[in-house]
Amino acid sequence: MDASSHPEAAANTAGAAAPAVVCTDLSVRFVTDRRTVTALEGVSFDIAKGAFLSLLGPSGCGKSTLLRVVADLIPFAEGKCTVLGGAPEKARRDRALGFVFQDSALLPWRSAIDNVALPLEVGGARKLAGPSPRELLRLVGLEGWENAYPHELSGGMRQRVAIARALLGAPQILLMDEPFGALDEITRDRLNEELLRIWQETKTTILFVTHSIYEAAFLSQRVLVLAANPGRVRAMVDVDLPAERTLAMRDTERFVRVAAQLRQLLGG
Amino acid sequence: MATSATAAIAAAEAAYRAARTRTLWRRRLLPVAGVVAFLLAWAGLVHFLEVPPFVAPSPVAVVATLVAKFDMLMRNLWVTAVESVLGFLLGNFAAIAIATVFVHKKSAEEALFPVVVLINTVPVVAKAPILVLLLGNGMEPKIAIAALICFFPTLVNMVRGLESVNPQAMELMRVLSASQREIFFKLRLLNSLPYLFSALKIAASTAVIGAIVGEWIGSTVGIGALIIQSTYNFDTALLYATVAVGSTFSVLFFLAISLIERLVVRWNAPSSV
Repeated sequence: MDASSHPEAAANTAGAAAPAVVCTDLSVRFVTDRRTVTALEGVSFDIAKGAFLSLLGPSGCGKSTLLRVVADLIPFAEGKCTVLGGAPEKARRDRALGFVFQDSALLPWRSAIDNVALPLEVGGARKLAGPSPRELLRLVGLEGWENAYPHELSGGMRQRVAIARALLGAPQILLMDEPFGALDEITRDRLNEELLRIWQETKTTILFVTHSIYEAAFLSQRVLVLAANPGRVRAMVDVDLPAERTLAMRDTERFVRVAAQLRQLLGG
Repeated sequence: MATSATAAIAAAEAAYRAARTRTLWRRRLLPVAGVVAFLLAWAGLVHFLEVPPFVAPSPVAVVATLVAKFDMLMRNLWVTAVESVLGFLLGNFAAIAIATVFVHKKSAEEALFPVVVLINTVPVVAKAPILVLLLGNGMEPKIAIAALICFFPTLVNMVRGLESVNPQAMELMRVLSASQREIFFKLRLLNSLPYLFSALKIAASTAVIGAIVGEWIGSTVGIGALIIQSTYNFDTALLYATVAVGSTFSVLFFLAISLIERLVVRWNAPSSV
């Protein structure tokens, strides 16, 4: 459990294959009438294929911005960002990315299954690899809810549908922007466990934005701790916990130590 | 213990059902009672204050006229109905089309929106003679007025509905590399429907008003013409009967649009974020 201030920590985790995402000296600026905001400055990190990395930081640290740079939703001013060996735009066009938003962003006029199937209908509809919408709904535990409309589902169920939609086409990278941030703690705990199960079953790479220390510690193999104003990397932390995780584990001394370390990094 | 709890639950359910039945009946009966009370008060006032018939008729006389001149009233309503429905279709289609252009071409919106506002500030009664001079004395100017009166609320609402898309849904479309066309048909258009229907419900009644106002200026048929004629003849019973026919048509038009809305917009209206 050593906090190394990057980039040496990158190489030692999971796999010899090329990393899924590599960002080097990345800077993002937003120019407005009044001032220019530097959202991210000199950010470098990488994530191995199949790994689970959390981006943890206070609000305004640019963690959502970083996720959107990887998803090719926001352009960057300086630096380099490589997703699956190419530009983020190529990864987006290849449908190699799935994105889960904080607000489920389901279309209210579509049933659960039609929401999951949306990626098949837009962006040059093509035959996508991987499980069907029905199988994905089963994967996220919503079998029998195929024809329910978003307003008939609870907040947690809506996020499950959003996850199923993001998994359509078996994307190699799943980008999650505080997906459980608006849920109550009990629902969030359950979905955290489910997400780990889904990650193990799909073997996808997950980049997970959160401002919850416990969520980051519980879910991730590694945590990228960010600082605010301007957004920059504070530390890359390897989470020293067994691969098999249970909610009960959060009461162990080892877990508490990881959480304490993360909190210290955030505060320091 | 268990049995007493079951009994208590059964009693509570019975009480709830009784209360709900009462509420349902009250909701049905009170509006009827209100209308009946209004008609009685009207008849009573006309009778006891001895209001002369050329000032205000009694409801009995109005109903008698409705029955006696039903065919004539329907002939005139037909003209007004055609004008208002055609105007409704024309005005709303134009508004939807222009809203679509505005959303995709911001420069068009910036250039043309002031013109639209300017036309909208001209009162209907002032637009009517201008259009009669432009389009002649037939149905055309009435249709044009009905269309113009529908146009503005629909345009404003439609632009809002097309633009007020959940920003995360827009990001999703971008992640999925959706084209502008797909974003329009799969996201914007459906998102705008609740907004569109609130405008259409307003337009349904204003279109009828537009057609009637159009008929005031140089027309021999239609509800508007009938209103003018019966007023000049001090035939108040016919005037009131005409107004009743016109209003009834307005209400039915509104209800028809509401029904279509309920069939089309089956999801909950999106809360304004």
